[in-house]
Amino acid sequence: MKLTLPPRVSPMQFDAALKAFQGVVGKGWVLASDEDRDAYSDLYAPGPESQWPASAAVAPGTAEEVQAIVRLANQYKTPLWPVSRGKNLGYGQAAPRMAGSIVLDLGRMNKVLELDPELGYCVIEPGVSFFDLYEHLGREKAPLWMSVPGNGWGSVLGNALDHGIGYTPYGLHARNLCGLEVVLPDGDMMRTGMGAMANNKASHLFPMSFGPDWTHMFTQSNMGVVTKAGVWLMPEPETSLELSFDIPNEEDIGWVIDTIAPMKIAGLIDQNVFVPSWLGKIVLKGQRKDFWDKPSAIPDWRVQELLKEHKLGYWKVQVRFYGDENVNKAKAEVVKAAFKKHLSAPAQEAWWRQGEERNIYDLTVGVPSAVPLQMGDWVGGRSAHLGFSPVVPASSKHVMDQLKRSRKIIADHDVDFYASFTVGGRFANNINMLMYDRDKPEQVENMKKLFNVLVAESAKAGYAEYRTHLGWMDAVADTFDFNDHAQRRLNEKVKDALDPNGIIAPGKQGVWPSVFRDQSKEGRA
Amino acid sequence: MKRVALFGLLLLAACNKSSAPAPDAAKGGPPPLPPYQVRAEAPTGDRLAKGGDGEKLYSNHCGYCHLAGGMGTNLLTKQRMAMGEPPENGLLTNRKDLTADYITSVVRMGKVAMPRQTRVDITDAELEAVAAYLAKADK
Repeated sequence: MKLTLPPRVSPMQFDAALKAFQGVVGKGWVLASDEDRDAYSDLYAPGPESQWPASAAVAPGTAEEVQAIVRLANQYKTPLWPVSRGKNLGYGQAAPRMAGSIVLDLGRMNKVLELDPELGYCVIEPGVSFFDLYEHLGREKAPLWMSVPGNGWGSVLGNALDHGIGYTPYGLHARNLCGLEVVLPDGDMMRTGMGAMANNKASHLFPMSFGPDWTHMFTQSNMGVVTKAGVWLMPEPETSLELSFDIPNEEDIGWVIDTIAPMKIAGLIDQNVFVPSWLGKIVLKGQRKDFWDKPSAIPDWRVQELLKEHKLGYWKVQVRFYGDENVNKAKAEVVKAAFKKHLSAPAQEAWWRQGEERNIYDLTVGVPSAVPLQMGDWVGGRSAHLGFSPVVPASSKHVMDQLKRSRKIIADHDVDFYASFTVGGRFANNINMLMYDRDKPEQVENMKKLFNVLVAESAKAGYAEYRTHLGWMDAVADTFDFNDHAQRRLNEKVKDALDPNGIIAPGKQGVWPSVFRDQSKEGRA
Repeated sequence: MKRVALFGLLLLAACNKSSAPAPDAAKGGPPPLPPYQVRAEAPTGDRLAKGGDGEKLYSNHCGYCHLAGGMGTNLLTKQRMAMGEPPENGLLTNRKDLTADYITSVVRMGKVAMPRQTRVDITDAELEAVAAYLAKADK
């Protein structure tokens, strides 16, 4: 990819900045060839990758090097786009929101610094992947389980900092963060929570602070660079029991949510319950052309045929219990009785017991995998996906309301409907997966139009996305409009106070420093 | 085609069953899933220095997707079988036709579902060792 300089930075100034970075990290860790810029672009970009171009990348090995780079970036006015491992597939991967930003790749910082099997936490650097941590726990024989997202190739901290979700009792990943170490935009370093006291023994245990707790100021944020963090881990259960239900009809999702949510809120179910529609199961069985050979959306009659042919329900519910065998059995009886009121078919049951291998493709048992990304093969070609992910109250009224809306909008754009709901308690994350072939420009354009309508119409009804691709960060930020966008005013005030040169991730989540606010219209999908 | 269908069944079993072996495995049904493939630990030392252990580096850096049961292996198995090759050829370590130049190109330029790898994901020196390890056609 050709070089796009950061706004108002001359070639000479840019070159001087890179040389200065080399002085910190060594020549081999400043990456600025055309090939490097390609590698840091968004594989799934909805449109040309050149819409979100990085100018270079720099890869520090220590927190002190991060501080030095941040200070130099202020000096040379070259904005940085920090990534933990840069595997945020579907949301922009490693590519920056603002053209010309230099990727601050923390992938080399991949040490597990501390592991406490008794209190169930670790302290890790941003470059630690889900695979790295899983294998470390295995080597240390630590009886602890992780919660993993769909892409285990990515960073544990990066995913948690970007509000990623998993499917165990520890599935709200940002909630597992406890005690961050952060390099601030001026190069200063601070620690959140009890860690604000040097040598505090409860730095990664107590989830608040003395005084304001700044932890979540640094998630989905451009207020600093997290260089290490405590992450809570789940004790390995003695047993685990999974109940699976095939739910026949689309409209059944209403009673499914009304059945699961109260048990989740009450603590009877403690995992995040993932409820995918049929397409989530069939994408792994072949390619779209094997099931429907026309470019138009799969019609309802064909969906019904496929469900019959493949013995699938419209929805799949898998509820998993973790812990003592008798407790799991008792909990399962309550769930089975609740489902029996609506469903005659019994649940399929599968036990796991300590000492047995865990299913490598089952995210609910915390084994990292990249296999869920295989769904990309469904459309063929250079396939990609976007997730439209509004958060809805976990009740049938709201779930059906949003389902009908997104279903109609997606059908109006002649795109296959692939929805899932993850019940996290009082809310559900409704992820609508939109898969497309990047080599078909008309498909890409259609997806962009579709996504814009989904964001706008859902916002009108009172629902917002919890996370989004670079190209919609501003559009989604715009939907947070209480009191004429009071949250934006606060974000901008804080950003300008902490980062007057706008060095850290300008435009991340629609938060623009005043110095680069003129760039906010660029890079919108 | 039969092999493709069998592979589909394997995936289906993988996605729908828990850790217990597939109940029909004993009757000649789809084989049970491979266990989690633990990657080799990343070698310590200067990642920019040449002469690393290609086997270990492959396991550590490429093992996210290219060991048994990985995403890359699954997709390549399907692809190789469609070309009339045995399913074992889905594992890059079983391939006899790979060259170092080809591997280097795919790693840096990407291919279909395979993303381009940055020089932090795998340095040039590490890639050289991995390419030499996999390139049986060059030997």
